[in-house]
Amino acid sequence: MEILSVSLAFLKIGIVAFGGGWSTVGLIKHEIVPRWMNAEAFNSLIAIAQSTPGPIALNAATLVGWQKAGFLGALAATFSVILFPLLAMSATLAFAKYIPFKRSLADESLRSGSMAMILMTLWVLLPRTALPMPWIFTLAAFGITAFTKIKGELDAASQRGTRGFPHW
Amino acid sequence: MKMPARAEGITKTEPTPWHIFLVLARINTLTLGGGYVIVPAIGNAFEKQGWIEEEEFYRIFSRAQVFPGPIALSTAFLTSYRIAGVPGAIAAVLGTVLPPFFALILVGGFISLYGNTELFKRFLGGAGAVVPGLVASMLWRTTKNRKWSVRSVIEVIGLAVLLVVFPSAAFFLLLGGIAVFYIGRLVWKS
Repeated sequence: MEILSVSLAFLKIGIVAFGGGWSTVGLIKHEIVPRWMNAEAFNSLIAIAQSTPGPIALNAATLVGWQKAGFLGALAATFSVILFPLLAMSATLAFAKYIPFKRSLADESLRSGSMAMILMTLWVLLPRTALPMPWIFTLAAFGITAFTKIKGELDAASQRGTRGFPHW
Repeated sequence: MKMPARAEGITKTEPTPWHIFLVLARINTLTLGGGYVIVPAIGNAFEKQGWIEEEEFYRIFSRAQVFPGPIALSTAFLTSYRIAGVPGAIAAVLGTVLPPFFALILVGGFISLYGNTELFKRFLGGAGAVVPGLVASMLWRTTKNRKWSVRSVIEVIGLAVLLVVFPSAAFFLLLGGIAVFYIGRLVWKS
């Protein structure tokens, strides 16, 4: 039954996983901490999911499934997290013509939703301590990744892509 | 990501589902850092293969962001569907999901062998400590790139407060919240 409950948890996560891996981490944490692991183990899990190839949410699903129910659990959790997104995309490709849908309004709404999720993620991951070291690590990582050009490529690219939305 | 030299434009292959799978599997095996690194890598590779124009690729990418789930998956799925239909889309799912899956099965085995050693625990402690900083910088970038209005500030802060106060209702809060934002924007244009 572990397999079922892990799959169900990640199916739910897949339905609301808007806006990329980081915004989803807060949700994942609330699904699995403290039910299946403690906060410290969760941070390790996210660190592994981040430092291995592939999308974070997918990797987190694989790791939790593996830990709870072995190979089959990993397989079930991984496919659960992508099940709804795949169905949603397939349905849209098939029925797009019939759905009256204001693209730009939906974009803005989703953007708000995913930013609220990132805020939640940040809140649940911030160090719960007054010790200086965790905060120094956090601030250093923020400074390096926010104010250097490391991740700039996609910012520019996505802005090119958003010139003039085509309809479906 | 480093491309092997022979991918620099000479050996173009036909966009069959198998080749789509191979290209995506290679990217998803070699690329660290999540969707926002993987997506440009896919764009480069597909363009070099002559399968899709860069402009078109990023249009599909912007469309893919409407869907939940990993952005690398939805971008690969929709792009490959455009290139090679349903078989292409299936190849995209497998090429995105399988490499990290098997990488993590290996990692999982590794952890159950060495997970209790002091060195490994320290590595994870250090890696875990930078995670909040990475999230903060993600937030900083998206905040900087967005055109803000009073409405969107209220939406984001209101929903974030609700999520933090009632985390166990996060699923319904998000679905409801996004629906309310959408309907609100439909009926009451700012």
